[in-house]
Amino acid sequence: MTYYVQLILNGVIAGSIYALFAVGLTMVYGVFRFINFAHGELIAWGAYLVLPFMHIPFSLPIYYAALPALVVTVAIGLAQDRYVYRHLRHGNRITLLIASIGLSYLLRNGIRLIWGSDLMTYGLEPTRGLTFAGLSITLTQISMMAAAVLFLGILFLILTRTMIGKCLRAAADNMELADIMGISMKKVGLTVWVLASVFAGVGGILLALDTNLEPMMGLINLIKAFAAVLLGGAGNVWGALLGGLFIGIAENLGVAFLSPGYKDFISFSLIILLLLFRPKGIFGILGGVR
Amino acid sequence: MDYLIHTLIVALIFSIFSISLNLELGYTGLYNFGHVAFFGIGAYTSSLMSLAGLPVTLGMACGMAVAGGVGALLAIPALRLSGDYFGIATLAFGEMVRLFFLNERWLTKGPMGLPGIPRPFYIEEGVAGLPLFLVLCFLLTLAVYVTVHYLTTAPFGRALKVVREDEYVAQALGKDVLSLKIRSMTVGSILAGLAGGLWAHYITYISPGDFTLNETILVLLCVVLGGRGTNWGPILGAFVIIFFQEFLRFLPIPADFGRLVAPLQGMIYGGVLVFLMLKRPGGLLPEYRV
Repeated sequence: MTYYVQLILNGVIAGSIYALFAVGLTMVYGVFRFINFAHGELIAWGAYLVLPFMHIPFSLPIYYAALPALVVTVAIGLAQDRYVYRHLRHGNRITLLIASIGLSYLLRNGIRLIWGSDLMTYGLEPTRGLTFAGLSITLTQISMMAAAVLFLGILFLILTRTMIGKCLRAAADNMELADIMGISMKKVGLTVWVLASVFAGVGGILLALDTNLEPMMGLINLIKAFAAVLLGGAGNVWGALLGGLFIGIAENLGVAFLSPGYKDFISFSLIILLLLFRPKGIFGILGGVR
Repeated sequence: MDYLIHTLIVALIFSIFSISLNLELGYTGLYNFGHVAFFGIGAYTSSLMSLAGLPVTLGMACGMAVAGGVGALLAIPALRLSGDYFGIATLAFGEMVRLFFLNERWLTKGPMGLPGIPRPFYIEEGVAGLPLFLVLCFLLTLAVYVTVHYLTTAPFGRALKVVREDEYVAQALGKDVLSLKIRSMTVGSILAGLAGGLWAHYITYISPGDFTLNETILVLLCVVLGGRGTNWGPILGAFVIIFFQEFLRFLPIPADFGRLVAPLQGMIYGGVLVFLMLKRPGGLLPEYRV
């Protein structure tokens, strides 16, 4: 029994990170109506960019190094929009998608060029595991969850309590109507890209704290984030959050029944199954709050 | 001279592969980002059968049949989705197939790959068989070209283009959009299976690492560079890309930088994709529009 509870706990930890990836992806989809294939690369770049700030000449401790890394990640996110997507937004959709997959390939190989293809870590001291009633959790994992909850809470406040958040939700609901009502689409677009990049970067850094860094991490997590987005119904931020948790738990529970080599298989097959039976998403019923 | 023949063979195999993707992407407007899965299925089916002692021709025919069958099975759920969703679903499918090759050791020997795949009996092993293999590839490419040319200039091809431009118009004209898409994807998968079988019997060694997203990007680039929705475009694209790749090997690159070549090449491919979408979405041979 404890074994399964432990798996669920691991699932919640992984799921809170997937949720961070998924909210960014779904926000971009909600406003611009396209899937940014290069979103995964924001995750990977966010995680990798911590490395140079941790070493000479900066030698910052990891929590301070994360800040400039996030700034650069946001710059990459904004550059994606400024130099590529903005010019293609009104054209053929296939053009936009091919450009985004090309961009993701460019960015992924950029990581391989700078840091190489091997596995890397932040080289932190392994933290001690704490044990409660037979369940173990490390301090790193606790701080991961705390950070995920903190950032998702901030997102909730931004979306519901601030003017720009309300504008964003209006634009996601109906872009043309929002435009007519005098909401600045430029501002909304900027906010979406900044939020999406920050959440991707934070998620990437948190994931790399607990596991390791590799150039393919962006792609794998993009697919998982997409599974979460689909579960929640595309464009639905809260759905994506629940979807992320669900994917994390399903994946970790699945390890009890399948060989670990198939861990990633679960979220992938979930995508196909969902498309088959519930194309509108399982948590679509909770809709309304976008 | 042998090296030139080798390059020509690879370019012809990639021409078949590009033609198959072009049928889906260029004519029907389906963004299949997991096309390499069918290439891999064709390669593995054919290799396993011929390694078990069956004739190569039968193996390749079965490889095409299995790839086509899987393509049709995937098409039915995945094609209920429009555009972007289909892209991610196929991307996930491509990764699932790769994980399958990697994990089912009893069948595919996992990461070790399958060595010693026989060539067709009438073609000698090693370098001596190259000219004859070139003739075989040329005849098959010609056959594929003629078939696809026939298909796309027939009413079927025009109907596909209507589906690409506007599904509602196609529906209003009494076309069964779903069936057209499924047929297009099935034919595309069969041809990809053929290309995969040829590849396996030519290289004589395959492993799951040969069927990653990188190959999908490569073939996507061939199609887009040559010109989507044209019959000559994919062939031109495949020749340009393959010859460029082989030409890179002759550049005098210092050994220290050898590590950087692959990522740089990837960055160039990604960059070219983005650049083409921004400046010349039609490719080198743009589609003639009435």
